[in-house]
Amino acid sequence: MDASNPMTISDAAPRRSGRVRQSRRVADRVLRTACLIATVVGAVVLGSILLMLIVQGVRGFTPAMFMHPTPGPGSEGGGIANAILGSLVLTGIGITIATPIGVMAGTYLAEYGRFSKIAGLIRFLNDILLSAPSILIGLFVYTLMVRPMGTYSGWAGGVALAIIAVPVIVRTTEDMMRLVPGTLREAGAALGAPPSTVIISVTWRAASAGIVTGIILALARIAGETAPLLFTALNNNSWFSPDLMGGVANLPVMIYQFALSPYPNWQSLAWAGALLITATILVLSIIARLVIKPQMSR
Amino acid sequence: MPALTETIALARPRAAAARKGPSRSLDTLFRVCSYGAALFVLIVLAGILGSILYGGWPAFREFGFAFLTSSAWNVGTEQYGALVAVIGTVASATLALLIGVPVSLGIAVYLTQLCPGWARKPVAMTIELLAAVPSIIYGMWGLFVFAPLFARFIQIPVSNLVEGMPVVGTLFYARVPSGVGVFTAGIILAIMIVPFIASIARDMLDQIPTVLRESAYGIGCTTWEVVRHVLVPQASVSIIGAIMLGLGRALGETMAVTFVIGNANRLSASIFDPSSTIASRIANEFNEADGLQLNALMALGCILFVITFVVLIIARLLTRRVKAA
Amino acid sequence: MNAASAIPTVDLTRNHANEGGAVRIAVKGLNFYYGSFHGLKNVDINFHDRQVTALIGPSGCGKSTLLRCFNRIYSLYPEQRAEGQILLDGQNVLDPSVDLNDLRARIGMVFQKPTPFPMSIYDNVAFGLRLYEKLPKSELDGRVEQALRKSALWDEVKDKLRQAGTGLSGGQQQRLCIARTVAQSPEVILFDEPTSALDPISTGRIEELIEQLRDEFTIVIVTHNMQQAARISQFTAFMYLGELIEFGPTNRMFMNPVEQRTQDYITGRFG
Repeated sequence: MDASNPMTISDAAPRRSGRVRQSRRVADRVLRTACLIATVVGAVVLGSILLMLIVQGVRGFTPAMFMHPTPGPGSEGGGIANAILGSLVLTGIGITIATPIGVMAGTYLAEYGRFSKIAGLIRFLNDILLSAPSILIGLFVYTLMVRPMGTYSGWAGGVALAIIAVPVIVRTTEDMMRLVPGTLREAGAALGAPPSTVIISVTWRAASAGIVTGIILALARIAGETAPLLFTALNNNSWFSPDLMGGVANLPVMIYQFALSPYPNWQSLAWAGALLITATILVLSIIARLVIKPQMSR
Repeated sequence: MPALTETIALARPRAAAARKGPSRSLDTLFRVCSYGAALFVLIVLAGILGSILYGGWPAFREFGFAFLTSSAWNVGTEQYGALVAVIGTVASATLALLIGVPVSLGIAVYLTQLCPGWARKPVAMTIELLAAVPSIIYGMWGLFVFAPLFARFIQIPVSNLVEGMPVVGTLFYARVPSGVGVFTAGIILAIMIVPFIASIARDMLDQIPTVLRESAYGIGCTTWEVVRHVLVPQASVSIIGAIMLGLGRALGETMAVTFVIGNANRLSASIFDPSSTIASRIANEFNEADGLQLNALMALGCILFVITFVVLIIARLLTRRVKAA
Repeated sequence: MNAASAIPTVDLTRNHANEGGAVRIAVKGLNFYYGSFHGLKNVDINFHDRQVTALIGPSGCGKSTLLRCFNRIYSLYPEQRAEGQILLDGQNVLDPSVDLNDLRARIGMVFQKPTPFPMSIYDNVAFGLRLYEKLPKSELDGRVEQALRKSALWDEVKDKLRQAGTGLSGGQQQRLCIARTVAQSPEVILFDEPTSALDPISTGRIEELIEQLRDEFTIVIVTHNMQQAARISQFTAFMYLGELIEFGPTNRMFMNPVEQRTQDYITGRFG
């Protein structure tokens, strides 16, 4: 909005004074065009991805896909019901583990550790973990759980996803709690409430929308993660056992394996899964942004 | 009113006596729990490093420093070296930066300086949604949509054009113009890091005081001159930080690259040829690997850890310093 | 200059100590530091039971700092510390063995900007009560109503006790915060520029309220508005650059200040 005012000045200036050399005007045109093109390219890529998913995915998107487990090699039909359920279970485990850890750690950084050196270090390393290659987290959980237990398991997959989700939740929790005005904390303390009471009934409440957003963002992030699941939950072409030991079917790894397979019904299921998971994640991301908006503008 | 005063006067001593206060131990427990949760971050990071060092150690012991310089990767003879994967990783990430950075900055400038007010939010949202798309979807898009087009309209014509020429004839020649290879991986990675760099750069440009911009426009600068001489220098440190952050992502990205890089262990001077990155090789081979091959893959993980963490640390230091200032 | 100004101040305090009942809070040799910055310099002052004492002075003079010492709210920030004595009924509140939560329940505080918690009006008022007393619901209801009545808010909110406290107007929010403080039956209430964020009408109502609360509570109010200090306080302390320059009954302070600097400030020559 504030950009419109100076822009009219720059547009008007050359006409009036005539002191703006042609080369300057050309450079300006080039920049404006280049920036517009860059933005259009970004939008076109997103559009192209969505178009591809819809065109390819709708064909396999049938009621049957929600009812049957993934088919074996060379067999006809089948669905992805086991992968859908598996993904729900894995992300469920991941977010269930990550939420308390992430929220508590974010609380420490925002409240108790505001002035301590160790909190500064943790904040720094958390930011690094936030962008760490997820495949390394897969290797870590493989060493930590799959090797000692002797089998792939849904638990290992859930833990790997939790490790990816924690830094996201820590970061947003801390940021959102810092937005809560200090006077609110002082008011709580001035009533004689101990720090934990002030945090739980004042700060958390005031920051709740932001914290929930962080959890949704973390959910969106781990729902599509593939690399760390390759070595932890792997995949399974049938229903997994209720104790989650052994391979557990899940959408991302299923998509990876089926998309690169030679069987047309597998490929079609991979596209249907890709459409499903992308739509879910985009909806989650949009929800997260809508939740955060009133919080930020307040 | 006097009646009320009396109740309070009576209530006061009783209240004071009843003020045992909330439980101290619960307060301490809460504090300890939050501290423990925060330490979890440290433990995980140490665990990641420890586990891959532990797993990779036999390979480092077996091959020593030659692990870094050898381009061998032979399961039959148990000869392993990291060179091809390291070069593939660095090359694809570098290409991603070369392509992605100008585009990201263009988007950031467009969003902060040029975009009409009503379009800012939807356009920004579109770009941010690109960051939410799972990497495996980028891989599929790269392999099934982009690679065929790329092979047909760029690889084949360019290969025909440069064939026989010195330098460019090697650099841009595709032996098998399938559309996959280092260059394709670079482009896909570029698309994946653009939303990250663009959104940080946009925030930084937004933070620059309006007065500064207005005074530059006030002396008759064009938009290009304001961007080039006022905005970019102001935000340069944090923009470099954002670029490093994007680099960190590109280096460690796995699934998208695995789809489009071709997964070959061959040292080639052409960026159109298939190759491997550290992450793609781990993803491809880990589940079937055993013995020394597993150790070698873990050792590759160590190298990836070191490269990405150095880059990410620099990135965070750069973006942090600006925040503090 | 330091010593010269300190002597008459102490004398004045003694002269007028008897005018307003017993001394409730006695501050002796109080020094305050923000890291290395010396925020309060050797402050001695007494506050009288059930009187309103106004702290005035230009921005940064230390009046809010002094206020924040009484309930040790400054201790939320590790780089801040106070030295000296603040005796509340003879007990030094700066003593490390003092239970902070208990202290803060005895000394209530109302802040510059209204600080309603993100919960219902009822829960806001009941917040402090629930911390220290396990009351049956009926009694809790009664206490909440009592506090809201005392804060002159009851008639405006009695039909919407379950609505969010943040939905009230600024003046109502401030009275809600006063109700929340009053509900705990503190002995002292500290007001830190309670009306500086409010419009004149809301300000008038808060001033009336403070006037009424004086019947029960010892009140200390920081204000940068001299008319306000003159209107509602019985005692006034003028502070400048971290020092207490002059203290005395409000009438005398405004009609006939002893110190040149007090006169200059009151007549608007600086500040």
